[in-house]
This record gives sequence, structure tokens and C-alpha cells, in this order.
Amino acid sequence: MNKLVKGLAAAGVAAAMSQGAVAACGDVTIAEMNWASAEFMANVDKIILEKGYGCNVELIPGATLTTFASMETKGVPDIAPELWTQAVEVPLRAALEAGSLHSMNPKPIQGAGEGWVVPDYTLVNHPELKTVLDIIEHPELFPYKEDPSKGAFVGCPAGWGCQQVNNNLFTAFDMEAKGWVLVDPGSAAGLDGAMAKAVQRGDDYFGYYWSPTAMMGKYKMEMVDFGVPFVEMDHWTNCITQAECAAPKQSAWSASEINTIVTDSFMKNNDPKTAAYISARVFPAAEMGEMLVYMGDNQASGGDAAIEFLKNHEDLWTQWVGVQAANLIKKSLN
Amino acid sequence: MELFDDFPSLGRTELRDLKKGIDLAFRDFSQANGEAIEGFFDPLMFFMVWFEKLLINAPWPLMILIFALLAWLGARSIPIVIGTIASFLAIGFFGMWEDTMATVAIISVATFLCIGLGIPLGILMSRSNRVQAVITPILDVMQTIPSFVYLIPVVMLLGIGKVPGLIAVCIYAIPPIVRLTNLGIRLVDKEVLEAAEAFGSSYRQKLFDVQIPLALPNIFAGVNQTIMMALAMVVIAAMIGVKGLGVPVLRAVSNQYLALGMMNGLAIVALAVIFDRVSQEYGKRLQKHRQGGHGV
Repeated sequence: MNKLVKGLAAAGVAAAMSQGAVAACGDVTIAEMNWASAEFMANVDKIILEKGYGCNVELIPGATLTTFASMETKGVPDIAPELWTQAVEVPLRAALEAGSLHSMNPKPIQGAGEGWVVPDYTLVNHPELKTVLDIIEHPELFPYKEDPSKGAFVGCPAGWGCQQVNNNLFTAFDMEAKGWVLVDPGSAAGLDGAMAKAVQRGDDYFGYYWSPTAMMGKYKMEMVDFGVPFVEMDHWTNCITQAECAAPKQSAWSASEINTIVTDSFMKNNDPKTAAYISARVFPAAEMGEMLVYMGDNQASGGDAAIEFLKNHEDLWTQWVGVQAANLIKKSLN
Repeated sequence: MELFDDFPSLGRTELRDLKKGIDLAFRDFSQANGEAIEGFFDPLMFFMVWFEKLLINAPWPLMILIFALLAWLGARSIPIVIGTIASFLAIGFFGMWEDTMATVAIISVATFLCIGLGIPLGILMSRSNRVQAVITPILDVMQTIPSFVYLIPVVMLLGIGKVPGLIAVCIYAIPPIVRLTNLGIRLVDKEVLEAAEAFGSSYRQKLFDVQIPLALPNIFAGVNQTIMMALAMVVIAAMIGVKGLGVPVLRAVSNQYLALGMMNGLAIVALAVIFDRVSQEYGKRLQKHRQGGHGV
């Protein structure tokens, strides 16, 4: 009996609180996209907006294209925390210009994108290797199993878009003449396996990968600076990303752009404090990697990882929210 | 009643710890022994690299001549020889020569390896019911377990490339030759064996001069099936970095390139048909000489 009364009382308080909160923030829908980092970010946003700002948040699962189409035409969900803009470049630009969508945070994850990676210990053991330009002079450090006189650069699996880019950059950096072989790992599993095997043995490894991913965090891979600037966009889209590219120029990998995109109605009607939070939250590469590894190792959902993150990285996320919201969120975690 | 509603399963954490424990144990094993195991396979790998280079670098008319000759020696049939030549000409004409040679290289090595291991294993199985009882379920697992499941440990242990590809192919392709060798020998007529014993045949003579020759049709059906299954694995092998016709197929699949996929797929089919006809005809010819003696 006692329990029931307490429960009812608690429910009443919660209802009162949420009613007050609705007045302040209202209903918010957040896109929960179908890969680990996006799932994690959506859940962090959900907890912070709900507990800190009293919003009533609903997560809407989806893929990039479907979510984007729904935001553009129906205005739902309100927020896409991690939208890879290159996948929807042309319609996104049009929507931004028309004002139906807005970018509220141009770089929610630091160090995100594709590139060429080595394990951290390779950089420690060979401090002279600072950029890709240095590494390609030393194929002997990364011997190719099937022809040990050559260096192995593990590229992109057959059929992926990045395969053309790797092929063309391989040519542009004149790597064949320098004694390199471009190895096709065949599949995502092959690429992951090759990297995992090399790092578990402590072998040096040089190949293509992208961030944020659990693999990058788990095996402590470092993205190497190319040592050359990004070539102009025109050459990139018309030559380097194409199968037929007569004279590819040396270039850094195009910065993959991730944005937090919101709908126009959210932009106009939101509580300014929530907008301030969304534009302030930037996940550093290391913490993002750590959470992705946590998810992989523990087979945790985005929701579990978000709670883990909020518990362990208070110093980070409290910078994104006001003091009052921070206190409310901390209280909810206990 | 609760017991019947929820299956009494391991808890989430226990299950996770169990999986993690197995993964870690395997990682430790591969860290400790990976290099030694890789070293063991090194000669095989260098042979495969050499053999692939040989096939790719040899002048194409010579290679077609060799294939035609092999087809003739195997099948002794003009239509099959003409079909072989036409197929290889078409493959070259559509720009698939190098990939096809790479595929032929790995498939031939895989077939010889499977036959070399499979026939003795099949003979061993036919000698003892106990060995058969142990090996049969292992063969069942090898044939039915999804390839990706064993690709994970193979890649963790040996990386990507030809040797792990060869192992993946052989795991799938070796069971038929083992099974059919065993079956063939077990099906040899008891009376024939009794007759051989009556003539005072030794154990060796019975095996090599009576049982194996009489089992040849079945053994050849096994060889044929092994080749077919090895070819079926070409695409899976490409997923762990084996060069050949599987690579363009994968590229076609992820980009919906209909024509590219069809062409390379049909090249695999052409190889399969050639290997199949030649090995079947050869098997039939082996049977011919004894047709009169032992009723059909």
C-alpha cells in the first residue's frame, strides 16, 4: 500500500515536471541513424534534451537518404545529429538555400572522415614519419606478404566509392615506382581483418580507413596527414573520384563533412538554450572512438553508451550545457 | 510457471563474458602462434604466387594450346576441345584473361590440395567405421557452416591473401571427394573381394588393385564435385583479397553493374563447364575398359 502511494506521488511529480517542461521545450524528434556513432549521438542528445531542458524527445530510426527525404518534405525528424552531407550534397545545398533546413553545428565530431591510417606505435617507433609523403618513401617498413620486396598499402574493398580515390591517389603519389603494391582487401571484413591482425601482432600497417569507427578506436589507429593540401573541388569530383582520371594530382582526402542538420520549424520554435547546446556539442575523436569501442566490446546499444558517456565524461559535456541543465542531468544519472 | 515462459538462459553479462573470453583466447592464440602458422604456409604461398604469375605472364596462345591439349587428353572429344578454345578466346576478348588465369591458378592448386588430402582421408574412412563416425560430422559442419563464420578466425590468423583464400575454398570443397572415396570403396562388391582373397591377395593388393580401381567412378564423381565447389567459392575467396574473377563480381554487386557481373559470372560458369566435362569424360574413359568384365 505504502509503495503504491509513493509510486502515485512520484508519478504526479513527474507529470507536473514534464508539463512544466513541455511549456519550455516541447516535442522534439531526433533521427537515430543506423550506424553506431549516429545512434550514440542521438541518444546523448535525447538524454540531455530530456533531462536538462525538459523536452519530450522521440527517436526516429532511419538511414541517411530516408531521413533526409523525410526532413526535407515532412519536417520530421527535427534534428539529424550526424548527417554525412556528401551523400545528399545537391538536395541539401538546395534545401539550405531555400531555408527549409539549417546546419546548426558544422562539425559535431572532430577528426571525422576518410584517410590513410597507421597504428599509433608506428608513428612512435618511426618519428621521422610525419606525413603520407614521408611514409611512401619507406615501403620496406610495410612489407607485402606475397612479395616482401614491396610495401603493402591496403586500399578499399572492390566496388566501394573510395576505391577510385585510392587508385588515383596511389598513381598521383607515384607509389608503384616507389615500391608499393595496392592491396584489395575484397570486403569490409577483409579490410578489418587485415588491420586487426597486423595490430594484434604489433606489425606496422598502412592502409585506408575512416573515422569515427570502433576499429579506429579499438586498434588505436592514427589518421596520417597527407602533407599536401586538398586539391580544388573540381579536380576531386571530376577526376580523382572517377575511374577514368588521366593525370590525378596529389591531394589530401576531401574532408568528409558531417553536420547537425535541423528543420526550419525547429530552428524557429526551439528553446534557444537547446540550440546553444546543439551548436556547442563537439565530440573529440578520442572520446568518440572510446565510446564506439565500448559499444562494440559490450555489444551495447546507443542508449547504454550515452549513459556511460555522460557518467564518465562530465568534464566534457558540462561545457556544452548551462549550469542548471548540467545539474539536472547529473541528478537524473544517479 | 515462470520457468516455462522464459527459457532459462545465461544472463546478458555471462553471455557477453563468455563471448569476450572466447575472442580473447583466440586472440592470444593467434598472437602466440600466428607467425609460426604463417611460416608453415609460406612455401605454399610462394608457390601459388609463382604459379599465378606463370599463368598470367605466359603468352596467351600458348596457354590456350595447353588448355586445349589438356582437354583432349582428358576427354578425347573434338567438341569439348573446340568448346574449350572458344570459351578461352571469348574470355580473352572480353578482357577477363588475367582474372581468369588468377582464378584457374587458385582453383587448380585448391583442387590438387583437396584431392591429395581428400582421397587418403576417404580411404582411411572406408577402412574403419570408427574413423567414419568421427569424420562424417566434421564434414557435415564444413559443408554447412556459413563461410563467413570461419573466414573471421582464418583472417585473424593468416591475414588476407592467397593462403587464407585457399583454406576457405578447401574447407568447402574437400568434403565431396572424401565422402565419395569412402562410399566408392565401401560399395565394392563383397564377392569380388572374396575372390581376390581366394587368389591370395595381400591387404595392399586388395586395396590398390581391387577396391580403388572399382571405386574410380565414384572417386571421379568426387573430384568433379570438388572442382565445382571450389569454383563456387571464387567470389567468397575474393572477399578476403584473392585476385581473380570474384573481384569484378564483388565490384558489380556493390555498384549494380549488371553487365560486368554477368560477364565475369559467365566466365566462372565457362571454367566450371570445361572442368566438369573434361573430368567427367576422363572418369567415363577410366570405366570403359572394365565394362565387359563386371556387369553394368
